[in-house]
Amino acid sequence: MLIDTGAGRGSPTPLPASRSSARRWFPELSDNTVGLLFIAPFIVTGLFFMVYPVIEAVRMAFFSYNPLRPEVTRYVGLANFQFILSDPLFWDAFLQGTVWTLLSILFQTLLGVSIALLLNRTLPGIAVFRGLLLFPYIVPTVVIALIWRWIFNPEIGVVNYALIATRLVDTPIYWLSTPDMAMASTILLNVWKYTPFVVICVLARLQSVPQELYDAARVDGAGAFRRFLDVTLPQLREVLIVVVVFRTIWTFNKFEEIYLLTKGGPGTSTFNLAVYSFEQSIASLKLGVGAATGVVMMVMLLIGSIVYLRVSGFGREEAGA
Amino acid sequence: MRPSRPISAKSCIHRRDFLASGAALALVTSGHRSNAQSSKTGTVRVWGEPGPYGGVAVAAMNEWAQKNAPGLKFEIETIPWDGVYVKLMTDLAARRPPGLISVESPIAMQLMAEGLLEPLDDVSQTVGRDRLADKLKWEYFGAWTSKQYIMPAHHQPHLLLVRTDISKELGLSDPDGWSWNDLANAARTITQKKPEMAGICMALGRNLCTDYHFAALLHQAGGKMFDQRNKFEVAFDSPETAEALEFVRELQQFMPKGAVEYSFLQVVDAHVTGKTAMSFYWGRTLGRAAEEAKPIFEATEAFNHARNPRTTRRSNWNDFQGWCIPARNNPFVEEAKQALTYYLKSTPWLVKYCHSLMPNVAPVFKDQAESAELRNHPFYQSKARTVDTYFNTSLEHASSTANELLQGVNPFAGIVHGRSILAQTVQKVMIDKMSPRDAAKWGARELDSVRKENIQLVN
Amino acid sequence: MNPDRAHRMLGLAATYLVLLATTFLVCFPLIWALSTSLKGKAEIFATPPTLIPHEPTIDNYKALITGRPQYFQSGSERVATGSAPAEFFGRWFLNSIIVTVGSTLISIAVSTLAAYSITRFRYFGRRIVPYLSILGYMVPSIIFVFPLFLVMVRLELTDNLLSLILGYVSLTLPFCMWLMWAFMRSIPIEIEEAALIDGATRLQVFRDVVIPTALPGIIAAAIFSIIVSWNDYLFGRVFLNSLDNLTLTVGVMLFFEGTHVDWGLLMAACVLMTVPMAVLFMALQRHLVTGFGAGAVKG
Repeated sequence: MLIDTGAGRGSPTPLPASRSSARRWFPELSDNTVGLLFIAPFIVTGLFFMVYPVIEAVRMAFFSYNPLRPEVTRYVGLANFQFILSDPLFWDAFLQGTVWTLLSILFQTLLGVSIALLLNRTLPGIAVFRGLLLFPYIVPTVVIALIWRWIFNPEIGVVNYALIATRLVDTPIYWLSTPDMAMASTILLNVWKYTPFVVICVLARLQSVPQELYDAARVDGAGAFRRFLDVTLPQLREVLIVVVVFRTIWTFNKFEEIYLLTKGGPGTSTFNLAVYSFEQSIASLKLGVGAATGVVMMVMLLIGSIVYLRVSGFGREEAGA
Repeated sequence: MRPSRPISAKSCIHRRDFLASGAALALVTSGHRSNAQSSKTGTVRVWGEPGPYGGVAVAAMNEWAQKNAPGLKFEIETIPWDGVYVKLMTDLAARRPPGLISVESPIAMQLMAEGLLEPLDDVSQTVGRDRLADKLKWEYFGAWTSKQYIMPAHHQPHLLLVRTDISKELGLSDPDGWSWNDLANAARTITQKKPEMAGICMALGRNLCTDYHFAALLHQAGGKMFDQRNKFEVAFDSPETAEALEFVRELQQFMPKGAVEYSFLQVVDAHVTGKTAMSFYWGRTLGRAAEEAKPIFEATEAFNHARNPRTTRRSNWNDFQGWCIPARNNPFVEEAKQALTYYLKSTPWLVKYCHSLMPNVAPVFKDQAESAELRNHPFYQSKARTVDTYFNTSLEHASSTANELLQGVNPFAGIVHGRSILAQTVQKVMIDKMSPRDAAKWGARELDSVRKENIQLVN
Repeated sequence: MNPDRAHRMLGLAATYLVLLATTFLVCFPLIWALSTSLKGKAEIFATPPTLIPHEPTIDNYKALITGRPQYFQSGSERVATGSAPAEFFGRWFLNSIIVTVGSTLISIAVSTLAAYSITRFRYFGRRIVPYLSILGYMVPSIIFVFPLFLVMVRLELTDNLLSLILGYVSLTLPFCMWLMWAFMRSIPIEIEEAALIDGATRLQVFRDVVIPTALPGIIAAAIFSIIVSWNDYLFGRVFLNSLDNLTLTVGVMLFFEGTHVDWGLLMAACVLMTVPMAVLFMALQRHLVTGFGAGAVKG
């Protein structure tokens, strides 16, 4: 077996077979064995806990399955798909989910880039700010949803109090009581929680932009904004595309951020496809329909990931090896 | 609640001999010994709704366990009201049902019709078939194909709660005599004269509370979801439904602005914090007010609902809560039966159960209802009339989604509530601005699909 | 002071101001939660609300840490309800730790081994493994949860922490694999070659040379896995039944679903739930940045 790091550092060198040495803690295994041994746990785990559930989910989509009465499971062909595709709630959920995703991504990107620019300096104490600003990413969704309910409580929450006390509004805002406000609230929560992710990725990229480019631009007489447009943005282009595609795919499928805050309400106005799938499986006890929704989501996902792989240079990278 | 050390071997043998010789004659049906020792170990999970009373019953059962099944521990598992359906799936479908369930009748009836429950005729015989309090019947709690599957736990109506200080201040008439119009006018007056207060509050969110609140209005109007006398055909697309929806729409203008997302918690909050002068609720509001807002507690009284002008009905939604035992995958069926019997035969424990949250849980057995100890509670001094309304007079007007207008049990209610169909119908009018007639049609279609998918339950 | 210097100082001050304001806004929810958790019941509802409590109390934290039950009055007795969330908080905390540690250990072990294998050896299909992984990562958990639930039912593992450990592996393994692959690729081959030439076996090289060098990546993967496992709600809700076995996220939601919310207690629970993640994060945030930088952005 040859060793190949794929780091593109010239042709791999053949090595002599390992010799036995005086101190041996493990039995001597050939490279072949080691290689296969090391990948084995992943194969096993992957098959059982990644591949199998997905296949099972796809299979369930073609059955009518009530978990309380497993004995009456029966094959129904495309009936589940017909059901969801003709269900107005499915389309509402799809539309709402799309709106939610796009608006969230928009704000996350704008804010994320801004904050990353802010953090990309070597000022004293910047490390502390960096830590604190990345904080929301690690907070459990349950925690932020519950805190949200508390601070945005229309009668006793501090946000409304502050808004009224500073005369920005006259009457309490009902953050979760109307479809539009509920949608805005869930977007706000999503932006709060995941902007740090954008910040991390953008910041990592920013920090590898060579200073000379900025110096050259400054020498050419470019102001701060011009420097941003001409130097920073092009450097960020690739990472932004990747981040936006990634975040779009993930946000579209998010369940907890909506469910824990509004349960999909008021009415069904903040439903997205994940919430729809959950409700079909649990409230309606139709696991088949829930699975069919999942399949539809996966198809959309597949399209999205193909886009991502294309865009992030799957083909380009391998050519260099 | 660890069981204490088991009783000495000597008395155990003594009891076993006694049983073996003669007492077996006194026992009924299933052939088990009512006080036999059980050597099983483990935790018997007992589902209950949020509230202290489940814990009381479990304490009683642990008392039984100490003597008869020292290896067992009964543990209460609180199920949030809107979480019952998740639990049904995760626990029952996972073949890890609880040992014992205390649940309101729509879900109990659903479980019963699905064949998931153990028949409890032996328990009901031992507990006493003629022990039920007045105006209560065993069927209300759960009888199916002439077997009793569910034992009464308590009954719990939701009534019209009124801040009598406000109503007196504004010169309103006695709420006990109100019709729907009077109620709406009172709400309007309060909202106009008291700007920081809402006139009335009920739940309008997509949840179980709204289902229940609306069901009462539906029944007051004489409407129903299913026609028990006609093979449970859907009867929801009716002028009565539209009338009830119209009434809710009229009342909404006098409700707190956030009402469209209110569930159980928020309605209680609204009343106890003085944000509303009137509300629809169960007795829990008074319990909480007594703890947190004494002036509001003193001023609040409960009345039977305003009568519908056309039908003169004052229906309330009563949960007719019952105890039931999952039949499948349940290793503790016998122990649960015995512990339940022990608890239900003990008047002191039954009284404690009621006392734990007055006047939320109402007594269901004669001895429990008439006991002097029950009256040994401060609420009987301060709120005697309200307690009586909850415990007794509400039963004249009792109704339930599982037993509409008490004209017959339907097994679909649990499923209806699982999908919040009634709440969604209400929200179609309140949020989506559908006309009541169209919303009724929509609701009827949803109910019809429930009926079609589960028709085997009634065949 | 010359105008240039003044200009720069102004710019500096402005930058710090913006940073402070943004940080305050971003951290406000947790700050407010902390503030609420340290207040007594009266002060929580007082107007105007105070950021720093006038009469701070650690009563809420005491209740959670000691597992204080709720009581009600029955006649002349004080009876415990037996179902107060505070009673179970300590147990839930322990459960979360068990599940998080378990799934993290499995994920990083499996992914490190596998990443080494596919970057150092050549065999059929090794090139697509990382890409399949990242594809797996993008499958939403809502799709996994019910089939996995049925698997757990068949294995009779529901209501058992092991089911969560295995479930979380399915959530975290793909991204850990991707991360470790990126790291392993960037480790130069010379160090290993030198050790191998010196007579070490492949396994020894792995243990003594590769793992220490890949440690930053392993830490990043571990952090990621810990965060996902600790914070998850959906799997916990579906896989667990009895009160004793719940994890923190599922259990704390129970604080909220009764008829009466004790906001101080709830906020204290939220703070305690977040503290381990905050500590971990503060200590190791550099690794997280490096990890994401390497994993999400290539080159």
